Amino acid sequence: MRSPVAPSMERTVPGLHELQRDFRAALLAGDAAALAPFLLEDGMSRECRLDVYRNNIRGSLSAVLAESFPAVRRLVDARFFDYAAQTFIAARPPGSPCLHDYGAAFPDFLAEFPPCRELVYLSDVARLEWLLHSAAFAAEASPIAAAALASVPAEETPALMLRFHPSLGLLESAWPIDRIWAANRPGRESEETIDLAEGGVRLEATRRGGTVMLRRLDAPAFAFRSALLRRSALEAAAAAALERDAGFDVAAELGALFREGLVTEISR
Amino acid sequence: MISAPRASAPVPARAGLGLRGPHVPEIVATRPPIAWLELHPENYMSEGPGLAALERIRRDYPLSLHGVGLSLGSAEGIDRTHLARLRRLVERLEPGLVSEHLSWSVSDGVYLNDLLPLPLDEEALATVARNVEAMQEALGHRILVENPSAYVRFRHSTIPEPEFLAELARRTGCGLLCDVNNLYVSCVNFGCDPRGYLDALPAAEIGEIHLAGHFRTERQGRLLLIDDHGSRVSEPVWALYEHALERFGAVPSLIEWDREIPTLDVLMREAARADAIARRALDGADRARVA
Repeated sequence: MRSPVAPSMERTVPGLHELQRDFRAALLAGDAAALAPFLLEDGMSRECRLDVYRNNIRGSLSAVLAESFPAVRRLVDARFFDYAAQTFIAARPPGSPCLHDYGAAFPDFLAEFPPCRELVYLSDVARLEWLLHSAAFAAEASPIAAAALASVPAEETPALMLRFHPSLGLLESAWPIDRIWAANRPGRESEETIDLAEGGVRLEATRRGGTVMLRRLDAPAFAFRSALLRRSALEAAAAAALERDAGFDVAAELGALFREGLVTEISR
Repeated sequence: MISAPRASAPVPARAGLGLRGPHVPEIVATRPPIAWLELHPENYMSEGPGLAALERIRRDYPLSLHGVGLSLGSAEGIDRTHLARLRRLVERLEPGLVSEHLSWSVSDGVYLNDLLPLPLDEEALATVARNVEAMQEALGHRILVENPSAYVRFRHSTIPEPEFLAELARRTGCGLLCDVNNLYVSCVNFGCDPRGYLDALPAAEIGEIHLAGHFRTERQGRLLLIDDHGSRVSEPVWALYEHALERFGAVPSLIEWDREIPTLDVLMREAARADAIARRALDGADRARVA
């Protein structure tokens, strides 16, 4: 004869796949209803036990974001940053254990995050921090010398395409984000006032000898380099630059890319 | 800089240190006397400058790769892309030891950055065994599987954790990494006997021991230990470590410290204490065998 079973015990134990989904919902969405019947209390509430895991996950991922976006964190203050980070983590949790990749979507998230809508430059400062972070972690690659161009027949030069060092990144903003970043970077915090009306910037990040460098480019050079980085042919990249400055010296600017150790491969 | 790859030396049965970012420049520059180093492969998968530093370090120290992200307990299987990244790193660094955890962190491709608990039943055992076999096959390397710290248990678990690990080793040929701190944390949290747990582990399969700090807190009037790797090894864990060595014999031991990371000399003193305890425990074990 079967003994009567309490209603909560009648639930069939789910398979491991479903149980792990329920556990994930309990941690990320905070909803432990499906999971709770299968956990032991052992003298302490299940919520209290699950909170240890919730805190571990939120705390460690928040720390990852704080490390990649220190200037954003200073601009909005640590408490607000933590709130934004928690919201981001719940909405966009990592898809890989390689956490140096986690946060690529944070600038776009900030751009859409209603509480910081008035900080018009914030998401671009975040993009700049991600550009610098990506440059620091990018794979190593060996640059080639301009002599490689000698092997290209003159009639094929317009179709030339370049590959760049993985650390090279370009970013354009309507705000002086390099100055905003510089005044808020860790260890260099300053209280200087930056006039947003100064206007926009075009920036380039690279890594040389283990150090990440950031500098401004003028409009023609930025157009030239971003077209090449997008894998446009030399002719199209030159046209984009010449449109902004009819005096743009294509040969000299091409040579500069090699001199700066940025080119790793040429192809046609 | 070109140098012929050289297999990393075997990891010795002494106390090594977990390699952490802030110590890398000092270790590269001064080559302090550390028996061996263990690192998290996930931190070196971008193939950036961090990996170049490791290639320097591997010339001077035996290395162990201790994964935290493969999610051996995932019902959906392990992420083949991540496994391929790990294989590239193993080929490049040729570590003496490779290890992972008896836990899961991936569900439907979402990575939850923690070592989450498994129900200890036949389905989980079959799942973990399948994933361990896939990992060992891909890496061409026997792996060690570590007992995690736990804060909650499942109502439908049927197999005690040490027996689960012993059966996993029997089925897959993997070895075990006994984290004495984790074992203590879990046993205190669930009111079990840590020595009983240690004694139930298959001594011959233990390939490595971990030591770290935890913190004590109280929730709902009850003691809860949380494994945070943020302090010195506690006295009860040192006592348990001595007992573990008496049972397992000489195995590589590791000091882990991940939060509020201290200076390297603090870690080296913890390693020296582990070595001193090992000498005493192994002397005692030898005398016991002779008698």
